[in-house]
Amino acid sequence: MRLTFPRLLLLVALLIVILVELRTVLAFFEIELPFAATIAIGIVGIVALLLWAFLSNDAPSER
Amino acid sequence: MKIHTYEKLWLVAAMVLIVGFIATITYGSVALGITMVGDQEDTIEPGELGEDERFDDPRVEQVGENEYEAYVIAQTFIFQPDPIEVPENSEVTFYVTARDVIHSFSVVGTNTNTMAIPGEISTMTVEFDEPDEYGIVCNEYCGSGHHNMEGELHVLPEDEFDLTELSVEADDEVALEDDDEVTLEIAVENGQLEDLETTIEAEIGDETVTEDVTVEGDSTYETTISVDAADLGEGDHDWSVTVDDYEESGTVTVVDQLEDETEDDGGDDDE
Amino acid sequence: MSNTFVDAFPKQARLIRQAFLTSFVALGVGALFGLIQALHRTDIFRPIESTTYYTVLTGHGVFLVISFTIFFLVGVYQWAVTESLEREPVDMRFTWGWYGLMVLGTLLAAFAILAGFTDAIDVSADVLFTFYAPLQGHPLFYIGLVVFVVGTWLAGADWFRTWWAWKGDNPGKRIPLPTFMVLTTMIMWYISSIGVAVAILAFILPWSIGLVESINPTLTRTLFWYFGHPVVYFWLLPAYLLWYILLPKLSGGRLFSDPLARVVFILFILLSTPVGIHHQYLDPGIAEGFKFIAMTNTMFLLLPSLLTAFTVVASMEHGARQRGGEGYFGWLKSLPWREPAFTGMALAGLVFAFGGFTGIVNAGMNINYLVHNSLWVPGHIHTQVGTAVALTFMAGSYWLVPQLTGNRLVGRSVALFQVLLWFVGIIFMTNSMYRGGLIGMPRRTAEPQYDGFDFEVAAGSVGELNAQLALGGVLLFLSTMLFLALMLLTLFNHDSEPIDERSIPRPLSGPEDSPPVLDNLKLWVAIAAVLVVLAYSIPLASIVSRGGLFGPDVSPFPVFIESIGDARFVLESILAGITR
Repeated sequence: MRLTFPRLLLLVALLIVILVELRTVLAFFEIELPFAATIAIGIVGIVALLLWAFLSNDAPSER
Repeated sequence: MKIHTYEKLWLVAAMVLIVGFIATITYGSVALGITMVGDQEDTIEPGELGEDERFDDPRVEQVGENEYEAYVIAQTFIFQPDPIEVPENSEVTFYVTARDVIHSFSVVGTNTNTMAIPGEISTMTVEFDEPDEYGIVCNEYCGSGHHNMEGELHVLPEDEFDLTELSVEADDEVALEDDDEVTLEIAVENGQLEDLETTIEAEIGDETVTEDVTVEGDSTYETTISVDAADLGEGDHDWSVTVDDYEESGTVTVVDQLEDETEDDGGDDDE
Repeated sequence: MSNTFVDAFPKQARLIRQAFLTSFVALGVGALFGLIQALHRTDIFRPIESTTYYTVLTGHGVFLVISFTIFFLVGVYQWAVTESLEREPVDMRFTWGWYGLMVLGTLLAAFAILAGFTDAIDVSADVLFTFYAPLQGHPLFYIGLVVFVVGTWLAGADWFRTWWAWKGDNPGKRIPLPTFMVLTTMIMWYISSIGVAVAILAFILPWSIGLVESINPTLTRTLFWYFGHPVVYFWLLPAYLLWYILLPKLSGGRLFSDPLARVVFILFILLSTPVGIHHQYLDPGIAEGFKFIAMTNTMFLLLPSLLTAFTVVASMEHGARQRGGEGYFGWLKSLPWREPAFTGMALAGLVFAFGGFTGIVNAGMNINYLVHNSLWVPGHIHTQVGTAVALTFMAGSYWLVPQLTGNRLVGRSVALFQVLLWFVGIIFMTNSMYRGGLIGMPRRTAEPQYDGFDFEVAAGSVGELNAQLALGGVLLFLSTMLFLALMLLTLFNHDSEPIDERSIPRPLSGPEDSPPVLDNLKLWVAIAAVLVVLAYSIPLASIVSRGGLFGPDVSPFPVFIESIGDARFVLESILAGITR
């Protein structure tokens, strides 16, 4: 575990929020992210984050 | 008072931001001419809209070349008139009032948006370039049917737009014995400022009468077309009057003699 | 650790627990109504008739922004005054008296609203939280509101009384910051709630009973908004108090600046009220000039919030550095993110900052025309009241309720999940609302599906917006239920002790760094009164002279016409140069 559980949870929440808002921001610049693609990016992002967090032997830093 | 340096910088930046916002909005008002609904119009008695010449008949009126005025009433749960029709390349001033409670008049997806308050008249001047169709909604809660309150605004191509109104008055029943005629009293109103050149075509039974007319701007042309009842013969006869895309029709009955003449004297004006 | 609030002031803790309980009951009902609305208007699930939707909507508004927020406010303020003055109220019976009045008022209004669900009782008040006349609710609804507001007035009187008693014992001392915040908030509340009191007592209530025949809709509407904008600060300021008092402690540090906190609250006294007309940019019968004045005042109201952003972030950074944080942004990692009370408040602040910018759009008088009364507006409300305030209250409860019960918080990790769930839920819902608003979807409607036209979505589709809104609504509802469950479990979590103790660390820069004039409340009241008179006397006189006190058919007071007419003419001529 590279991260403590609470921090992982926080990062997942932030990721979802940033994705939702980023999609809207991009739409203002006429870059349209389809609904399905957004969900796919979200899942890939969360899985990547989980893998990064779990596939590590470092002890979580707790300051 | 002790204020940290960063705090001071932040304070200055905040003030610059605020003044900047005010300046931008003021620029929008002054330089771009984005005006707001104000108190330009006098108040009106909401219970007596029918006695006000602007609102007794909610409508669109031409007031100048490419300039129009629309008188709109919002009431639970409709807009009058509906649809509102205006031509492309026009400048339309809306006069909006409410008959009962507070409504709004909001052209969907645009900044043509105003509250409609009983007793007050909102005015907005809007320019329409291209033909289009817009929805109108009431976006102020006005009662249990609020979600059904909608209207339409059609911006028509110039060749499809007119302010012509056709009305016909005809008898329901005509008696042969009086040697009577079947008459159609036709009125063609031209609400536009330009002359209207058109043809009135009237049909009664098998008879057809046509008349080429020029209706002057902002006026009404009236004419009467009559056909001898005897030519039509006893029985029901359909009639119709056509002017451009407008058509009025009805049925007249030719009878031997009127039976209920005495009873009718009560003042039934048989429109 | 046994140095908790309940140990020191058990009687106060009991009252505050009661206030929170009432607040949370309202939150539960309001959240359920919110869920029904989210599913109904998106046409995903419609268990009720569309006409009943407005009963639900009225309940959602009144229970959440009146009952939930204000009962929580009196709880927090009772805590803040008691804690910072180290003193109990002069007469506890009086304290229970105002609480009782507030409950009575809520019950009366709630009865009038909820009776709308059944035809068996001939009472209803489907007039929404704004109760714009000529829509008319049952008199009980208005009476309930009045009784409730009188209760809050007496609560304020109680806090002033405690402060006066304290001042007698501590001559020459500066007002402790939490008490200062309470007193300034109440001053703002007294000034602003006069508007709604006059609207109800002088016009709407007599009219709903049938004593007077007619009403001037613009007048009652303007009086409502005279109160309607400051009331949002009445919801917000307890959250500010928690940000200033509790958040620095939770971050592991101390408040950055006491003087600036005082300045912020004074600015709210001065500027909260003379801005209400910015809710009426689209109203006929109010001259553009007045709208322009309201706009500039509103923009200056950004200042206290921007100052707060600085102080709060600076305090958090200080806390993080105390905990060993380093670097320009690296200190963010050192904050106690596992602490739901901290994380909830920090995220609430983040959403508030974002929502502030949408508020600037609303305040911009000509841009406002695009979004006025569209779904954009509830989007703004839900980021501000629905998150900056509500999430802060919930997060604050995770710290306060253990202090008030002497029990340890149950399920700290679940609580963290709860605040994060709220954060995600509100983003889903409000993002959809903002986008829906920009394409013209109206707010406050049971069925935003029309026969004659379709909404033209710039990106995505209406179906997708609806799905997103409903998903957000469901997440928020679940989050609320989780919160209430944790509160209930904590209440019964006897034989445990809170982790934290009650003390609040002193600010880095204390009250001695600020001029004593900041504590001269009379001065600020006087200036605020002048500003209110400047901003409102002429518009109100103009509305009365146009439409009459009791409606368009009644002649105005002749005394107003000439003198006011002249003043208005002068003002308008000046403004004509600016606005046109």
